[in-house]
Amino acid sequence: MSTTAEHAGGIAGHIHPEPQGFIRRYVFSIDHKIIGIQYLITGFVFLVLAGLLAEIIRTQLLHANGGFVSNDVYNEVYSIHGSAMVWLVVIPIVTGAFGNIIMPLQIGARDVAFPWLNMLSFWIFPVAGLMLFSSFLMGAPVAGWTEYPPMSLLGGPGTSMWAAAIFLVGVSSTLTGINFVVTMFQMRAPGMTFTRMPLFCWAQLATAPLLMIATTALAAALAALFMERQFGVPFFDPTKGGSPIMWQHMFWFYSHPAVYIMVLPMFGAISEIIPTFARKPIFGYKMIAFSSMAIALAGFMVWAHHMFTSGLAPYLQLPFMILTFTIAIPTGVKFFSWVATLWGGKIHYTSSMMFALAFVALFTFGGLTGVFLAAVPFDLHVHGTYWIVGHFHYVLVGGSLTGIFASTYFWFPKFAGRMLNETLGKIHFWLFFIGVNMTFLPQHWLGSLGMPRRVPEYDPQFQTWNDVSSIGSYIMTLGILVFFVNVLVSMRNGKKAPPNPWGARTLEWQIPSPPHYYNFKHIPTVFGLPYDFSQPLPYKGLEEELTDSPVHAGAH
Amino acid sequence: MAVATLPHGAAAAHGDHGEVDQLYVETRALRLQGFLLFLVSDCVLFSSFIFAYLYMRNSGQGWPPAGINHLDVAFAAVNSVVLFGSGATMHYALENWKHNNFGKYAFFMIATIILGAMFLAGQAYEYTNLYFKEHVSWAGSGIFGAGFFTLTGMHGFHVTVGVIYLTVLFLQSVHGVYTKDKYFGLTAGTLYWHFVDVIWVALFSIFYLI
Amino acid sequence: MDISNIERIIAIAGGIIVAIVSAIALKNDWKTPGLDNQIFKLMLALLFIGAVIALLAGAHVLGNFPAAKGA
Repeated sequence: MSTTAEHAGGIAGHIHPEPQGFIRRYVFSIDHKIIGIQYLITGFVFLVLAGLLAEIIRTQLLHANGGFVSNDVYNEVYSIHGSAMVWLVVIPIVTGAFGNIIMPLQIGARDVAFPWLNMLSFWIFPVAGLMLFSSFLMGAPVAGWTEYPPMSLLGGPGTSMWAAAIFLVGVSSTLTGINFVVTMFQMRAPGMTFTRMPLFCWAQLATAPLLMIATTALAAALAALFMERQFGVPFFDPTKGGSPIMWQHMFWFYSHPAVYIMVLPMFGAISEIIPTFARKPIFGYKMIAFSSMAIALAGFMVWAHHMFTSGLAPYLQLPFMILTFTIAIPTGVKFFSWVATLWGGKIHYTSSMMFALAFVALFTFGGLTGVFLAAVPFDLHVHGTYWIVGHFHYVLVGGSLTGIFASTYFWFPKFAGRMLNETLGKIHFWLFFIGVNMTFLPQHWLGSLGMPRRVPEYDPQFQTWNDVSSIGSYIMTLGILVFFVNVLVSMRNGKKAPPNPWGARTLEWQIPSPPHYYNFKHIPTVFGLPYDFSQPLPYKGLEEELTDSPVHAGAH
Repeated sequence: MAVATLPHGAAAAHGDHGEVDQLYVETRALRLQGFLLFLVSDCVLFSSFIFAYLYMRNSGQGWPPAGINHLDVAFAAVNSVVLFGSGATMHYALENWKHNNFGKYAFFMIATIILGAMFLAGQAYEYTNLYFKEHVSWAGSGIFGAGFFTLTGMHGFHVTVGVIYLTVLFLQSVHGVYTKDKYFGLTAGTLYWHFVDVIWVALFSIFYLI
Repeated sequence: MDISNIERIIAIAGGIIVAIVSAIALKNDWKTPGLDNQIFKLMLALLFIGAVIALLAGAHVLGNFPAAKGA
């Protein structure tokens, strides 16, 4: 059932009355752009909180004997740091924030498919976040973000609170995933076939089923943990017939796809930013689109590579190792496509582009160490050491967080209507880039020398590189501080953003900044890919977007 | 041709109903997909617990566990037939609504609700028997109790929600919320109820038959 | 007559009825178009299988777990 502009009575023509009053407009809003901004702000608030926890960890590790916080508090701090960063910062920002703000604009829709559901998804999230942090008040979980039983069965009462909070975040993610799938299947502008959809939307389309399916599996695991802790139902306690390994299966069946939930949308964002600032059509559009799908699919078949040391049957290790290696193939397709896009392009070194280039470099590093880890013999050596910590921080900080900054510099003018300060952006970039490498590169060395993760004290021989790592983390934090200053200053005093400051070609740049609440006066017709920089724009029906003419479609 | 005999939305798609119907046809497609995806994710939730149960069963202390050998298969079969029968009556309720036959619709709808409630009563009876006579409990009977009561309890919760849901739908339809070509709520209710039935096919097989 | 035998007879009779009814419904619906009807057909097929399983369980063919009680 295609939506055509002629059917002014359909969804394309249906415009809700503009909400009036502060509460309906900015608090309980059903406008996807406002909800996205709410996600972004909430996510950044949690980034500050979880970042402070990270600094507590690094300060503790400045000295071999620790001493900054007590060992019990240290356990709580790294557990909440990991949980908050994964579930309250990265996942909500890459899907909830940028997916919400940008995806409907890019496919030429007026809103997501279920605006009220979208509002519900958002409001579950800050509540769950507060629940997660409030577990500090009642004895926070101490078994790391993975909460392996039996340790998680022994942790303080906060562990149940943790499980409930993550369950709620999962509900929010699942609803968002459903919403996005339906939006992209049903609400694309006329002429926008799947093979003309911008790559950011393709990435969201690959991510949404992961949100929908994998998160539910985690919900089951969390519910089981909650029941076991609160009612003594024997799921994981081996003395009553349960199996602690089962938690690991259920947890990683979610959490490996979650890795792709966290990074696939940013792959999509990078695929928008690189062609825009290289002024060149993206290389291998279809390959990038399909590789997202391949990564999403393969992500479900590799979870047990996290469990090579958990007593997994040896005949299972080999297939999981090989399947994990194969994920490097679609990922490699993306990276070569980006490099090929840059090749011979006229590269504009804006802050956004610099973060995008840093993403390519840092994620390649993190991805390659991931291939190392998939090899069973090597994994047995470094499992549970700082090598792992270094690896996944390269992927999550060097990948997802760098991608988040690249996307923020790229799309901030669109949704906020003001330009971010480029000088501060460059300062932010260099501090952050140097900080990330200084923090996480030495952790690989520490890990291969044998320093275990999650320890509050360590052997004095590891002191030097731990100090380098901690100083690096301070530099990184300083960079993020510059970013927040930049955002706060630019929100008020930044240069007014033109509709299309970067000369980009996707639909969201063809309308005013910030867009009207109804997004498009006319739903445009699409007849081509958005990346052919030498060609005229492949859209029809956008002539009045930048004029003062009133909205056309009949408002109800 | 009488509109009532047309399948849903077909009249509207031809454009002879004007603007609102075009909106209905399009939003109906959205709601249908969204609802199906919700059922998919719900199905994953059940599958995860089923996986967990089978995993524990195959890696634990041997099967069947000592001391638990009194599941009443005959009673459960009757109860299952009651639930499956409610699926069939629900199907005919929707069919009759589509053919604008309100009397038969009401009969089948009420039958569905009653059968659903009967299933719940049967499950309550079974739980009571297990708990008081066989001393099988949720937390105290190892992995069997954990798996059985968690999964059938989750399913029972879904049936309870379904009975309430269908009652609300029935009251709505009595009050004229749905018309002969706009009845997505009833379609969604039917989908949900079928889903609950089909989940029970899996649970019945797992707990009583293998 | 044992109550369990009465239950088994009810299960067999009910299973046959539900299986036949769902098979007829499936046959009548076989050519209906649309996503919802495709799902309905799948559900009816599964319902048919479920009814047959319940009927076989009632008839002692399936479900002789637990071994201690069967037969």
